Amino acid sequence: MTHNDASTTSVQRSAGTDNEPDFGPNTLLKVRNLSTRFFTDEGQVNAVESLDFEVKEGEVFGIVGESGSGKSVTGLSILDLIESPGRITDGEIWFRNRSLADEFNEQQSQAVRDEFVNLLELPESVHRSLRGNSFSMIFQDPMSSFDPTSTVGEQIAEAVEVQQRTSSNPRSARSRTQGYGFKSMVLGSILPSKSFVTEPSMERAIELLELVGIPDPKKRAQEYPHQFSGGMLQRAMIAQALAGEPDLLIADEPTTALDVTIQAQILSLLSDIQEERGMSVILITHNLGVVARVADRLGVMYAGEIAERGTLKEIFENHTHPYTAGLLGSIPEIDEAERLRPIPGNVPSLLDHEMGDRCYFADRCPKAMEECMEKPPEYEINDDHRVRCYLANREFDEDRSIRDHFDGEGGEPS
Amino acid sequence: MISTRTIRNLKNELSRSFLAKLGLILVGGAIFVAVLAPLLAPHDPTQQMLQVRNQPPVFLGGTWEYPLGTDALGRDMLSRVIYGARTSLLVGVVASGFGALVGIGIGIISGYYRGWIDDVAMRSVDVSLAIPGLVLALTIFSIIGPIAINIPDPIVALGFAQEMPDSFTFPGTVAFVIGVIAVRQFARLARGEALSVREEEYVKSSEAAGASNIRVMFIHVLPNTMTPLLVFWTLRLAHAILTESTLSFLGFSGTTLSWGYDISAGRDYLGTAWWIASVPGVAILFAVIGVNLLGDWLRDALDPGLQEGYE
Repeated sequence: MTHNDASTTSVQRSAGTDNEPDFGPNTLLKVRNLSTRFFTDEGQVNAVESLDFEVKEGEVFGIVGESGSGKSVTGLSILDLIESPGRITDGEIWFRNRSLADEFNEQQSQAVRDEFVNLLELPESVHRSLRGNSFSMIFQDPMSSFDPTSTVGEQIAEAVEVQQRTSSNPRSARSRTQGYGFKSMVLGSILPSKSFVTEPSMERAIELLELVGIPDPKKRAQEYPHQFSGGMLQRAMIAQALAGEPDLLIADEPTTALDVTIQAQILSLLSDIQEERGMSVILITHNLGVVARVADRLGVMYAGEIAERGTLKEIFENHTHPYTAGLLGSIPEIDEAERLRPIPGNVPSLLDHEMGDRCYFADRCPKAMEECMEKPPEYEINDDHRVRCYLANREFDEDRSIRDHFDGEGGEPS
Repeated sequence: MISTRTIRNLKNELSRSFLAKLGLILVGGAIFVAVLAPLLAPHDPTQQMLQVRNQPPVFLGGTWEYPLGTDALGRDMLSRVIYGARTSLLVGVVASGFGALVGIGIGIISGYYRGWIDDVAMRSVDVSLAIPGLVLALTIFSIIGPIAINIPDPIVALGFAQEMPDSFTFPGTVAFVIGVIAVRQFARLARGEALSVREEEYVKSSEAAGASNIRVMFIHVLPNTMTPLLVFWTLRLAHAILTESTLSFLGFSGTTLSWGYDISAGRDYLGTAWWIASVPGVAILFAVIGVNLLGDWLRDALDPGLQEGYE
């Protein structure tokens, strides 16, 4: 078998439920053919389209891409936090959860494979009940991710409490509302002297704050979010996300709103905790430097698709997709005082009727060829490296270049 | 929700603003008078003394026996105004409270869930808003009829005051219809606030941590929508007091001890004994101004962004 032959085993776009998923021995999450669309007044926006990727246990999976490439929507889709007018229209999200798999094996066998459950086939309440204890998310802007009306400690304790209630009788809607008493919750939100969290949860919250390196956690827990600095709040948010001891943590641009020195601290905190607990992390970022520091494997997203994915080493040293090359070329290097080579043009509109059925990167691609007017399948270069580009099995041919075709639209390559 | 910071802001604003003090005095005075009515009233407000009918107030040549004069049936106006404060305040608080409770509930649920719940709730509100409040109130009133609830007066029952009415009549229907009118506006405002708060990152963050919808609504959405709703509540309270008087004036009431009822009764004597209508009118004026000033105080203290000349 030649290299070229092997690489034509592509994942078909139409990969549906009849196509059995295969799981690696340490797969935690496998996303297949995921499409999330927003139905707006201007038309249908394909924010995420036919996405495939896999997260293994105990690894950091980076998702990199420009603004508007669908990174955050991917994260929100896994947590089922997509809101109207958005909807997950297609695909499967397989998550390893033994007890759920046993529970649903009989009643909904199509949603179960071995130890995995397809989150999108489960009832919504079950999917929701996994939030916090199976997967959790930290958001981009710590300043706006805390409720200004309650203390930081209360909000972390709330997450602890919600998880304890759920785990005592998981997936029961009753346990989520009954246990902590409607009355005490109402009183707590109205009376100043009452708190809507219990003493043990508060103690656990203080422990969590200590774990993420907040000095004097007992005192800080009593403070309101505006009394914290940005970096402190991001630590507190990590503490909140850890409250349910999730198997998978989705970090959506966790360092974007912070200054560079704090970024480094937060990243090392994240990777320390990840190693200590052996949990998996999906790190969503536009910053390749961040990914290079902590990720084991990564996926490069462009226009709602994963353009290229593989191990960190493969992507950085052996990338095939011109977009990946462009991203890497856009990182300033201190010792070589060359001009940066930005990718010309902009991220395309994701409106369905403007997208066309071609490689979405073709109009900005310095190596666009005639075949790029057709949508490329995903090629497998090796076990650890897949790419959605025709260059995977052929060389760039100047004669068939369609660079001129797009001139004026995408701009000239420098 | 009510933090020490909020209380400090309230105090600061109170010490800075004269109007806030005035509002507090007016409303505080009205509450004081209403609660202690049997002790403060010089006469039984319902006792008729036909020989002293249409007496002028003391500053128009009347006697100190009846400082604010008497009405056409010889009842003491001062006592009636004091007792009328009970009706006005109680109806105002109950009606606007009912409106706030139901309206904020509907508004937050429809703003938080959106979708068809929102459509149904808000279109119903839109349709009902096409009917003027007073017309709607009169319609509901004529459907259910006057319901008067007699509440025994504890001060009289415990023997602290003699020769006073031993129970107080609460006009239930009036309070209910005024509450229903207020529901619509509260629902509107709360829904708008909930719509903006639900998009906040902390709501998403709480959902991602596994919090249930009810929890998110009570602990994150409600407290963050509270400030404008609280200020709006004071406006509706003043409005409810006015509407109660209007309904009593029109004869739709379950009680005769009401400022609006007295204005209505005094209307026939405006040419000869104008104070009969004017005294309760001034009482309404003070109560409404007081509540409005209180609302301004809350607004300035709770939302510094709205404050004039804020540095």
